[in-house]
Amino acid sequence: MEILERLFNVTLVVATLRTTAPILLVALGGSFTTRAGIFNIGLEGQMLLGAFFAVIGTIATGSPWIGMLCGVLAALALAFTFALLVVTFRANEVVVGLALNILAGGMTVSLLKAIFGTRGSIFGHGLVGLPVVRLPFAREMGWFGQMISGYTPLVYVAFIAVPLFILFYKRTKLGLYIRVVGEKPEAAEALGISIARIRYTSSLLCGVFAGLAGAHLSLGYTTMFTENMSSGRGFMAVAILIFSAGDPLRILAGCLLFGFSDALALRMQTLGVSSYVILAIPYLVALAALFALSYRARPRIIQETLASMGRALSVKPNTASQP
Amino acid sequence: MIDRLSPYLGQMIAIFIALALGAVVILTVNESPWKVLVTLLDGAFGSPERIAGTLLQTTPILVCGIAACISLRGGLFNIGIEGQLFVGGFAATWVGFSFGMPHALHVLVGLGFAALMGMAWIAIPAFFRARYNTNEVVSTILANYVAVLATSYLTINVFKRAGGAPDTPPILESAYLPQIFSYSRANWGLFIGIALAIGVWLFFTRTARGYAVTEMGANPKFAEYGGIDIKKQTFVLLLVSGAVGGLAGGIESLGVHHRFMEGFAPGFGFDGVIAALLANGSPIGTIGTALFFGALRSGSLLLEVDTTASREIITVIQALIILAVSAQIVIRRRPSDSSAGERRWKF
Repeated sequence: MEILERLFNVTLVVATLRTTAPILLVALGGSFTTRAGIFNIGLEGQMLLGAFFAVIGTIATGSPWIGMLCGVLAALALAFTFALLVVTFRANEVVVGLALNILAGGMTVSLLKAIFGTRGSIFGHGLVGLPVVRLPFAREMGWFGQMISGYTPLVYVAFIAVPLFILFYKRTKLGLYIRVVGEKPEAAEALGISIARIRYTSSLLCGVFAGLAGAHLSLGYTTMFTENMSSGRGFMAVAILIFSAGDPLRILAGCLLFGFSDALALRMQTLGVSSYVILAIPYLVALAALFALSYRARPRIIQETLASMGRALSVKPNTASQP
Repeated sequence: MIDRLSPYLGQMIAIFIALALGAVVILTVNESPWKVLVTLLDGAFGSPERIAGTLLQTTPILVCGIAACISLRGGLFNIGIEGQLFVGGFAATWVGFSFGMPHALHVLVGLGFAALMGMAWIAIPAFFRARYNTNEVVSTILANYVAVLATSYLTINVFKRAGGAPDTPPILESAYLPQIFSYSRANWGLFIGIALAIGVWLFFTRTARGYAVTEMGANPKFAEYGGIDIKKQTFVLLLVSGAVGGLAGGIESLGVHHRFMEGFAPGFGFDGVIAALLANGSPIGTIGTALFFGALRSGSLLLEVDTTASREIITVIQALIILAVSAQIVIRRRPSDSSAGERRWKF
């Protein structure tokens, strides 16, 4: 019981929100490409490059905000390359995405050594993290205030983005176009929508959010850059995108699940569980979710088939009853 | 003749463009591209020892590349070769230090167990891919992370000797995969890799079943009408691919490291996938691309010593090459089943 109390409390909720934010940002970015019908396995690399250049920009200028901008620009450059190869040159999405991930990994380590002469990680060097936002009215609200105040700005951006994304897809022309291009490319073509232009747009929008996610990793979540610090979050985001089909609410649910398993895993470390086991938990959760949801998709296919068969069989009585 | 050569010509031009971009990258880290090139060549082929070093690096890339070829032929992406390599490496090490056996038998049992564990590691993703169309790219990537962590856990928390280095006990000498040269750890794994490449090539080009699998990769709908059980072929193909990935790990542990430790054979699985992609899924072509990547890796060791550039500049060049080539190669990939209405992306 005592162990449970030590594990589950307000600080766990706070930790969950904190660990959810980076993966939520990158997954929301990925929803643009997913909805536009692109399988974007390159999220991991965009995030990593974003994290690195956010740190470089911050050290160079002293401002974490300019750093964040640098991170976003770097991720955008990678996103543009992705779109160029996939949309214009019709290269295979998986191949390009993987190559860009490898490129980002190699480039960050090489530049790390070229600029700082070290491997591993950088901190210090005048590196400033993003400031913490303290909501003025949170103090009076007790535990609830504790839960909603004291995060870096990008955490708020991530969670506020969810309803905005819902509105974007439901209410805006661009949102509609992205969906049409993803769902019915032929219809989009018939309507005179440029598929290529929409796919470029969604790739670049994805890059912005992946860059923000990276900047959050290196300037908000921690204040340092470590080799390979995205550590599979981009791939987990892709897993979430597969079973959410890019739907913002389901993305939020998936990300909260990972954030929670991440936060819980970190807590279990205090109970003396081996860190290897703990680090594996989020990946195992992602895998389990991936398998479970594809298994669940099966009865629906069967149901759809049965329904269509039913319709086919009921053709006769229908035509008989309708004059 | 020109027609037969033209695809290779395109490939060469792509590689040339990538190398030019690589030169720009090298310039940005304040190093001379020419010096890097010379150092790489010297490091890869400068002396018999260095050539042996190149073959040493080529071996795991080749075997992993064959594993990737097997899945690519059927239009499947097994990106989890890295994980299968780690699991297989650990499995072979365990056989190597736990049991005493006659020499040849010990090696065979070790490699066999490595392949078996590699197969076991991909079994669940393969099952869900075959049965429920779960995306194998993501599931095998995620499984990689678990494999690395799980083998580290077993090494450090279960098998680490008290007070010793963070690795498993060394394997018995009876489990050593024989070396080719006396002065290098390059081993018979290279021959296993070449034999596998030829065997897999023969299978895909000379047998009816191999033809059916290639057909499935190129056009699954057509293959299905032709009476191929796609689900079964998918499952079997991924299992075989995983087994070869595990075998690569076994070769590394029995032939090179003779023990298992953290950071065992890093990146060979991914390099293998890239080598196979660059060879457009051809096992024979993979021998060439694996040798190319092996030379890059081997040369990069000297790079770290003689220049200010880091070893990872090589991965940048590799990525650039694959990007340049990907703009024109068409990997045969089965389109995802649209009947679910959920996964709309095409491959």
